[in-house]
Amino acid sequence: MKTSFYMLSVLAGLTMCNVMAAEAAEISPPQQATPAAAQLCTSCHGAQGQGIGITGPRLAGLSAEYINNQLKLFHVGKRQNPTMSAMAATVQGDNIAVVSQYFSQQPVADIPLQFRGDKVAISDPFEALAFQGDWSRTIPACTSCHGPSGVGGGQFPRLAGQEVSYLKTQLLSWQNGTRKGDVDNMMGNIAVKLTAAEIDGLSQFFANIK
Amino acid sequence: MKLLSILSIGILCSLPLQANELLTDISPKPASVKSSDSSTTLPDRQAALPSVEKKTTDEYLQLASLTDIPAGAFGDKVRLGYQLFVNTQQLRDKYVGNDLNCVNCHMNAGMKANASPLWAAYFAYPAYRKKNDKVNSFQERIQGCFTYSMNGKAPASGSPELVAISAYSYWLGMSGLMTQYNVAGPVPELSDVELVKGAKRDDFPMPAAIAKHQDITALSQLPGRGYPKTPQPELAYSPVRGMTVYQTHCQVCHGEDGEGQMIAGVAALPPLWGPQSFNWGAGMHRVNTATDFIYENMPFGKSIQLTVQQAWDVAAYINSFDRPQDPRFEGDVSKTQATYHKHQGYYGQSVAGKPILGSESYPVFPLKNTVKQ
Repeated sequence: MKTSFYMLSVLAGLTMCNVMAAEAAEISPPQQATPAAAQLCTSCHGAQGQGIGITGPRLAGLSAEYINNQLKLFHVGKRQNPTMSAMAATVQGDNIAVVSQYFSQQPVADIPLQFRGDKVAISDPFEALAFQGDWSRTIPACTSCHGPSGVGGGQFPRLAGQEVSYLKTQLLSWQNGTRKGDVDNMMGNIAVKLTAAEIDGLSQFFANIK
Repeated sequence: MKLLSILSIGILCSLPLQANELLTDISPKPASVKSSDSSTTLPDRQAALPSVEKKTTDEYLQLASLTDIPAGAFGDKVRLGYQLFVNTQQLRDKYVGNDLNCVNCHMNAGMKANASPLWAAYFAYPAYRKKNDKVNSFQERIQGCFTYSMNGKAPASGSPELVAISAYSYWLGMSGLMTQYNVAGPVPELSDVELVKGAKRDDFPMPAAIAKHQDITALSQLPGRGYPKTPQPELAYSPVRGMTVYQTHCQVCHGEDGEGQMIAGVAALPPLWGPQSFNWGAGMHRVNTATDFIYENMPFGKSIQLTVQQAWDVAAYINSFDRPQDPRFEGDVSKTQATYHKHQGYYGQSVAGKPILGSESYPVFPLKNTVKQ
């Protein structure tokens, strides 16, 4: 075994884990000034991307990778929303990274994490769907990809504490095919199997994780 | 059956075995090994049983719901088994040496047919293994998972963890059989000693109403057991083509370097190679086994299906990187290869000019904090 090779891998892993640990612990970074490129976004999403009710979903707590990718999906029309399509068009070039970085670094409330298996018998059908899925319809648990309590990471957005109306709109968009752009239509494939009641119930469930 | 050759892509490789040979155990006979012996002396039990052919007419057991697990001490064991299965990381550093959870390979908490479901496995053990000339109990099979798939250390025979996983497996399977044959009442409780043995034995307390329908041989071959065998690919499998498949379909979840997706300190999506994945003794390092799993179960939720060729190619790609060492390694890669790796895999070989796999392998059962330093 070559130590140097191993150490390099370990260091790479360490760096990644530190980033993840920081996200997990939701350590608040020092207050930073809103960059000019993100000023326009704040009118609907809040100064720190904390979301403003039905006006705009929360951006804080989403990964930079995810925000970056979604802006580009709006640019090419794989995501469609009259307001947001126009707004996204104003963020181009290097500003995509600036905006993504800024909002990804904004603090979110610290929540107690529920891991898979913490509860065995789950009576609430939507909580059960979130943590155990319904494999009779080939629906995996939401938390399989979105992480414990749906806190998200990488290309999987944070669901915990997100605006309820936004979550519902997105699930419906995945279901009717107006939202696209993920690999192999993963999310669309799941959304088409959900009933209207499940879309309501899951949106409420994740929005209430605060 | 045609031989697969991957020599054409310039990989140093012995000719893979015919598929039917792969179904037999290739482990050498160990010298009087006890099940509680250390991980390095446990024989490889990862390819214990041949696959059950998947038929379109197959009907799988309808299992009881987790909400039906009874109150009381027996139910507590069943519940613990479920919890250990979906969050195996709670045993990190005790018995687990990587970032995986049992549920990563046994989908839907070990309930999903054709994803090596626990309910079918429970009725397939004890199983006599010609090559190691002994009968392996159910708990010994789980010990194998901890040693190899979890890159850890097997819990001692009869330990609470093995009892719990056995209880959960038994409860799932028996609940399904009772539903199928209209047997009323709760799943009969078994003692710990009975639980860890498995159900394929003449003295297993099988309710008469079930036994009259199916004998133990039939029960050991329940539809949905294991991973269904994937047809042979048209072209010899290729990690080079597999890389494209991986980047297109797998990378978003499993990462550019197979590192998985860490969220809130846990691998929400599992690492496929490198120090945090299964080791060179795990069944999944075999290209055919990985293919069988992938073809049936990936991409996750089976949202789309890969072609047979894509599944073989991407299984080859995933298993062409180094991972934790084979726990049976005694300092000589060639010797370990010759003794334990006469199957479709890349241990002891150089893929695409990289160092020989096994020569720079990661540690077996490292403590979590030492991996990350």
